[in-house]
Amino acid sequence: MTALDRAIADPPRVPGIGTRSPVDGLSRRSIGPVDVLAQSVSAVAPSAAATTIPVLVATVAGQGATWSLLAAMALSFLVGRTVNQFVRRVAGTGSLYTYVSLGLGPVAGVVAGAALLLGYGFIAMFSLTGSGYYLDYLLSRFVPAAGDDALVTIVVVLVMGAAVFAVIALGVRLSTRLTLLVESLSVAVIVVLIVALVARLHPVDASAVALGPTQPASFAVGTALAVTAFVGFESASVLGVEARRPFQAIPRAISWTVLVAGALYVVSAAAQQMGFAAMGADLASSASPVNELANAFGMQWIGWALDIGIAASFAACAIASTTALVRVLFAMGREGVLPRVLGRASPRFRTPFVAGAVACGVLTVLPVLGLASGIPTWTLMEAELVVAALGYIAAYALTCFAAPVFLRRIGELTAGVAVVAVTTGVLLTAVLLTYLGVEAASPRWPAVAIAVGSVAAVVVAFLVATRRRPWRRGRSRAVYDVPVEADLLGASRPSAGTDHQAGVR
Amino acid sequence: MSEPGLRARQPKAIQNALAVLEAAAHAGPGVTAQQISDALGMPRATTYRLITLLVEDEYLVRLPDLRGFALGHKVADLAGVSAAPALAPLPRAVRSVLADVRSAVRAGVHLARYDVAGVRDIDVDPDFPLLDEAALRATPGSSAMGRLHAEGGLGPVHQVGAFTAGFGCLALPVRGERGELVAGLTLSAPAARVSSPGDALVHLRRAVTRLEPLLG
Repeated sequence: MTALDRAIADPPRVPGIGTRSPVDGLSRRSIGPVDVLAQSVSAVAPSAAATTIPVLVATVAGQGATWSLLAAMALSFLVGRTVNQFVRRVAGTGSLYTYVSLGLGPVAGVVAGAALLLGYGFIAMFSLTGSGYYLDYLLSRFVPAAGDDALVTIVVVLVMGAAVFAVIALGVRLSTRLTLLVESLSVAVIVVLIVALVARLHPVDASAVALGPTQPASFAVGTALAVTAFVGFESASVLGVEARRPFQAIPRAISWTVLVAGALYVVSAAAQQMGFAAMGADLASSASPVNELANAFGMQWIGWALDIGIAASFAACAIASTTALVRVLFAMGREGVLPRVLGRASPRFRTPFVAGAVACGVLTVLPVLGLASGIPTWTLMEAELVVAALGYIAAYALTCFAAPVFLRRIGELTAGVAVVAVTTGVLLTAVLLTYLGVEAASPRWPAVAIAVGSVAAVVVAFLVATRRRPWRRGRSRAVYDVPVEADLLGASRPSAGTDHQAGVR
Repeated sequence: MSEPGLRARQPKAIQNALAVLEAAAHAGPGVTAQQISDALGMPRATTYRLITLLVEDEYLVRLPDLRGFALGHKVADLAGVSAAPALAPLPRAVRSVLADVRSAVRAGVHLARYDVAGVRDIDVDPDFPLLDEAALRATPGSSAMGRLHAEGGLGPVHQVGAFTAGFGCLALPVRGERGELVAGLTLSAPAARVSSPGDALVHLRRAVTRLEPLLG
């Protein structure tokens, strides 16, 4: 009889395993791999980014835009690999916040948590504002008077905010299924657009995307901007409790999201660059490149499809980002870093109900206040995007530095992983500083001030709150899903040993 | 990579994965990835990757401290039909007999239940735990309760010093209706008491008489 046979015949008792997980209350192990992928893809909003990011990158990187996107894809893939070192070992809802807290301790965890909440929160607000902007734009095609009306945008944002709350509160399956449907629609639109464009571009002139005389500095800035098109790919990791096989589905979702979004961006950027070259125009100087291309190639119908696709992408992104944000708040509430009430789950729908209500309230009211105070919609959206991107990249960089420390602590560090993690962390820090510098020197500097100020304020608040409880700063109290008896060998076996002995004594 | 190359490599990977599971089962719950790698003499990176795959597929479970591992529920599928159904917990009447004999004999009294393969389940005396349960399960042939089964339970069996110097065991057969061996009542005590149990043997024999109708 081998040790394995004996263990199967008489499963060993494992001390310290209960019947409930500390993140009990969510719908544990309930959603499949496709839903998990939908969460990450939707948070990235690839179709909205594929139409808007190439032109932004082209303004700084010129002809090297496609190559900057390719470099950003490689960097994001390395970040994904490092994030997956955690994802394969810890199933939680706190995502990067939990990981950094486990690796570098609670104070660094709070920095990463604040940055990540800025990322998810501001992308959600960006999407809500964006859906208001595009629906207002669609409406103005029928009712010209409604065009550029802040009141219409505000009403759409309020309605969308309420709808997002309803979806988030009613169940994780509903929100992932809905984002999957909506995001598939919008990706299909952009793919049709690219195929239609390339079909009219014959003969294809590849020299337009050749890496020409691009300065290294502008290539680096272009890459930094291009990284912002990928942020959000890690958001499947908030489903650690709810995914059916989290250690398999989530790492795959993260890697595949980077590859799928990256492929879409590179193809879209190359098509746009070649299209503009064929027109004899410059992509970098275009205001609305996809619409201009569509008109130039006699495909006006694309404008319509594109508006619907982008609005759909924004809706999916709002749901996905809020889903992620709410679960990070839930983890912080369970841990006691934020008020415990945020860690409460609805017993009926098995969703983080309180965190959802608070988050949706704030995420709806803030953009409404911004719009009501007279900030133009597009300016507001740009500022929201800058805050979110800064938050995401900061959280990624901290996670890369946390990974080797965490792996060493649990005795599973290997040289290859350490080299990849630290190199990626250093590159990301360079990207973060470059992006920070570029944006601080632009008219969007208030967004940089908001991002840096918010993180600083949260960290100061944490240090003040723990000044008489220094042990709260010492060891991570991160909560994550732990195996319960049903996950172990011998789950169906009635407890044969300890129970009845205790009864006799 | 060509197709034949892939096929040729896979059996090795499966062997290694089974070796990891075997090592985890041998070491018991809480074994770390490093310990498994050391025990198997397998490179760290290979071991960690295999463990990751086994955790993904839920054959292994990472314990709450994030360092240790235990066998997951999927391992039971590996055994398929060969896994015997779980034994029912001991009835209350049996537990009360055990409680009586344990309070009368001031030494360890354990009840082992058997199936065709050998010791199936041990009810360990809570006041005198087994000195080395793992060694006992690993080498049943040198223990009194293992030899009792090997010899068909024809008569009492004893051993001295097989596991710990100066200690020994005396196993009495508990037989079923048709005289087949169903369990063994074992006295675990210092060597002197095993060689001349005195009063203890009377208590044990009385307990065996009461247990036979309950277990057989």
